[in-house]
Amino acid sequence: MKKILVANRGEIALRIMRTIRKMGIRSVAVYSEADRHSPHVRYADEAVCLGAPPSGQSYLNGDKIIAVCKELGVDGIHPGYGFLSENADFAQKVQDAGITFIGPSPGAMRIMGSKLAAKDSVKKYNVPMVPGIDSAITDVNLAKQIADKIGYPILIKASAGGGGKGMRVVEAPEFMEESMARAISEATSSFGDGSVFIEKYVTSPRHIEVQIIADNYGNVIHGFERECSIQRRHQKVVEESPSAIITPELRKQIGEAAVMVAKSCNYTSMGTVEFLMDDKLNFYFLEMNTRLQVEHPVTEMITGLDLVEWQIRIARGEKLDIKQEDLHIDGHAIELRVYAEDPFTNFTPSIGTLTRYEKPAGEGVRCDDGYEQGMSIPIYYDPMIAKLIVHAPTRIEAIQKMIKAIRDYKIEGVITTLPFGAFVMEHDAFVSGMFDTHFVKNHYTPEKIKDKQKANAEAAALVALKFWQDQQKILSPVQHRTTSWKRRLAH
Amino acid sequence: MPAKTFKASANEFELLFTQEDIDKADVIRTGEGEFNIIRNGRSVNVKLLESDEAGKKLKAEVDGEFYTIVIKDQLDQTLDSMGFNNVAARHVREIKAPMPGLVLEVSVEVGQEVVEGDRILILEAMKMENSICIHANARIKKVLVQKGQPVDKNQVLVELE
Repeated sequence: MKKILVANRGEIALRIMRTIRKMGIRSVAVYSEADRHSPHVRYADEAVCLGAPPSGQSYLNGDKIIAVCKELGVDGIHPGYGFLSENADFAQKVQDAGITFIGPSPGAMRIMGSKLAAKDSVKKYNVPMVPGIDSAITDVNLAKQIADKIGYPILIKASAGGGGKGMRVVEAPEFMEESMARAISEATSSFGDGSVFIEKYVTSPRHIEVQIIADNYGNVIHGFERECSIQRRHQKVVEESPSAIITPELRKQIGEAAVMVAKSCNYTSMGTVEFLMDDKLNFYFLEMNTRLQVEHPVTEMITGLDLVEWQIRIARGEKLDIKQEDLHIDGHAIELRVYAEDPFTNFTPSIGTLTRYEKPAGEGVRCDDGYEQGMSIPIYYDPMIAKLIVHAPTRIEAIQKMIKAIRDYKIEGVITTLPFGAFVMEHDAFVSGMFDTHFVKNHYTPEKIKDKQKANAEAAALVALKFWQDQQKILSPVQHRTTSWKRRLAH
Repeated sequence: MPAKTFKASANEFELLFTQEDIDKADVIRTGEGEFNIIRNGRSVNVKLLESDEAGKKLKAEVDGEFYTIVIKDQLDQTLDSMGFNNVAARHVREIKAPMPGLVLEVSVEVGQEVVEGDRILILEAMKMENSICIHANARIKKVLVQKGQPVDKNQVLVELE
């Protein structure tokens, strides 16, 4: 492979291109009119504008992307995550055009992309599953009947979904109609497929997933688990590896189950098998994400693997030369997703311009981002600014490193989830490892962050008052200047 | 005679201090523009980054977060109380966008009676659909947005009677 087009934007496009460059391959960026100033466009060797900002007219325009590839002599497409990454039709078209799709086969994507087909495929392998229905529906009355049978609370999920979109928890029958309507509408606009299915909502669940690495020759290994239970709106905010509650025996079991899931659909490339784990450590197969995962860096940190490099090597036909027993967990890694969201008003999007943007750095600190100071956050896409990842010998040290990194991350102009990240890192439930996906609902109170901020504000105001009064005492008319320039007091 | 007071705002916090609070504050200077203050047993490091010419508007950094501090002395407070800078409380009769986004559907029309919990419209932001509902009974006076229109945060969506 000599030239790879990255059909994505933001931090993941940049992250993929770094590996592409490391491997001595040329990179092609695509971008929408809203992203002309993005770092991924400048980093790439070549860049092509796809069209107007809305995803449908740019990053989701598969035909245009394939046409660009043909014109520029591209021999591989890396889809990243989101957008076209789990679109089997697109993968097929890429293949038909004689270009390598850096990901699984369209067949495996099709099976795992439909949650029902996935369950069907996995059934014969004795992998445990959550109670639910066997066919996708759009009929509200039928949905109500099924929900009554399974028992509330239930979960509505888009058949073609992912990333929490088209997903609704329904606590009681009277909310069924509106929830179904919203879920179907979201699923239709996000994935072009409005069918949903319904399953029992496991209370106190943990979200544990396993990284799969599979080559084209039947070799399948796993890169251990990632704990992704800290979520808001069913979307992950904090991920870590290894999980604080998984024993070596359980790790072996869940790892083998994940390998089984991958084998059930002859999976190749990188993939992630998601499980729900209840409070008794029973795990249930949830779904398989047939792409590079947002939180893949935590696995890279503890295994030392470059997952994107392996994805490319497997795509160009190389054999996996690592065996399961070669992989070991080195220390502990935690990732915080830094979103442009207001943690004080229920994580509503908070777009704006990054008037100040300084990243943390240091040993064991990694920051995958796609923004620079002065850039604004467009409303058209996911509001993630960056992923902050830390790696340390133990979990406690990793938590402390994350707290320091959050403090060193200076962002002004946009409200972010950084204070929420600090809240999580300092919370007893997180530190002890005893938490589930309801962490936000059960433990998060913005007031606690506000109280701390108020104490800091008071301290700062008192210092400022004292400073002002001291200045007044020493100021003489001679020193008075009429310039309107701000005085810098520190650097 | 009442104690001399100082008002200071720091971001969204409105704070009030007496001269005694200031005099008794345990503040030491630790570097160029850098201070340490011990308050209620907490040791807090404060960096003063910049100030305006009068020294009454300052920017400080604490724990990696930034605070814009505006000091109001007795004279400023007197001016405020005389009605300068004083915005009278208004009875808000409108629904504003809680976030920037795209109007997917407008569910009400002019003259319609709505009750608490009714959906006014659906706003799509960052790929999520949000039902904007009303929290009281009212009558729609004006609908200021239409389907497919992008809106900014705090943009007025509908006016109520």
